[in-house]
Amino acid sequence: MLVAAQGGDEQAFAVLWRELQPAVLRYFQVVSQETAEDLAADTWVSIIGRLGRFRGNERAFRSWVFTVARHRAIDWNRQAVRSPTSLVPNERLTERPAPDDPVAAVLEGQSTRAALALVAELPPDQAEVVALRVLGALEVAEVARIVGKRPGAVRVLAHRGLRRLAKQMEATGMVRGVTR
Amino acid sequence: MHRPLGFPDAPLPAADQDLLDRLLENRLDPASAPPGYGGLAKLLAVAAAPATQRELAGERQAMATFAAVMRSHPPTLTSRRTTVPSKVFTMKAAAAALVAVLSIGGVAVAATGLLPDQASSVADRVPDTTGADAAAHALGKAAAANLGGSAQTGSAGGQGRESAVGPDATGAAQAGLCRAWQAGQGTDNDARMDSVAFQALAEAAGGADNIAAYCEDVAASGSADAHRQNPASPPSGSAPPTSVSPPSSGPPTDPGPPASTGSGGHQGGPPTTG
Repeated sequence: MLVAAQGGDEQAFAVLWRELQPAVLRYFQVVSQETAEDLAADTWVSIIGRLGRFRGNERAFRSWVFTVARHRAIDWNRQAVRSPTSLVPNERLTERPAPDDPVAAVLEGQSTRAALALVAELPPDQAEVVALRVLGALEVAEVARIVGKRPGAVRVLAHRGLRRLAKQMEATGMVRGVTR
Repeated sequence: MHRPLGFPDAPLPAADQDLLDRLLENRLDPASAPPGYGGLAKLLAVAAAPATQRELAGERQAMATFAAVMRSHPPTLTSRRTTVPSKVFTMKAAAAALVAVLSIGGVAVAATGLLPDQASSVADRVPDTTGADAAAHALGKAAAANLGGSAQTGSAGGQGRESAVGPDATGAAQAGLCRAWQAGQGTDNDARMDSVAFQALAEAAGGADNIAAYCEDVAASGSADAHRQNPASPPSGSAPPTSVSPPSSGPPTDPGPPASTGSGGHQGGPPTTG
């Protein structure tokens, strides 16, 4: 499929895109939030332009897609820090109608968006690693390469992130009596 | 015993680590999660739920980009490289790419909404030129459109520029080249790699494959930041006058031109299918 796409086969590329786009989009919803859709589209423009030069199998392709996505996110976050007002579009409010109660929404199995919003509240390095592991379906070693950390560090970050999330889910859920 | 309510950063027993790894890899059914992990298991399952239609709404746009890039820069690299003296268009490609990528600057909408039109009009007369040439022209035209016609891309043919010399990519041009490289990753990489400018960048980075990492470092440094905030200062050397459009925060909902699947497709060589 990858080879066909690299050769210009539109159907093959569409298959790759459909397989990876949701994960890429969700990754950006965690790490860059408001502009997730723009950045995902931007990432694909990059991928398409460099597709012919990519060497590797589809597993490596998945890793590469997230590597490119991460560069986009870093770029964007850098700009956002510098000029937060001009770069945060007003549409964020309509774009991302964060549920009033994300924990309840998640517990009700309702909202992927709400779940991503909770992950996004983790410390950034934890959020990113959790996103790459869970959403990107990437192995520890792959994530380690993408984020430039040792596998052990990636594992620890992911575990810490999950424990924070577990704590938050349980605390809120118990108060509400939503969970057992 | 699992301890999700303890200090989240404290060391974990191996059993808990295994459990968390299983959760991370979606190998644990929320229903069978141990006490304290039910909410987390649900959260992760929901986060990784199957794609919604909304998430796939950008498919037409992505396909249009794919078709446009493949049309303007067909995947026939070997034949192009063997039949075309690379230096004939190196500076043109460099100039066009630099202007184009700086003006497009990571704007997905521009790249997908503008380029296909611009590229297709040029690509239609590709047979007597090359994929890279066409891409350079297309990029130049797109850039010119963005810049109100001020881009000097040398699109009148570019013959006779046999002795192009690239800027010193370790020096003052570094930030600009990196910016162009990063912003233009989605435009026309191979033609750009043939350009002396980007070859210089590759040299400075210690190989084409290292450019991304190299430029990340450059961008992290103050010079890149300054350059980025100061569109009035183009990279030195042989780079053309440049202008940086403000990054787009526009909605990606623009469907762009219709996917050009019916246009007969790829110039300059048969696509590999299968």
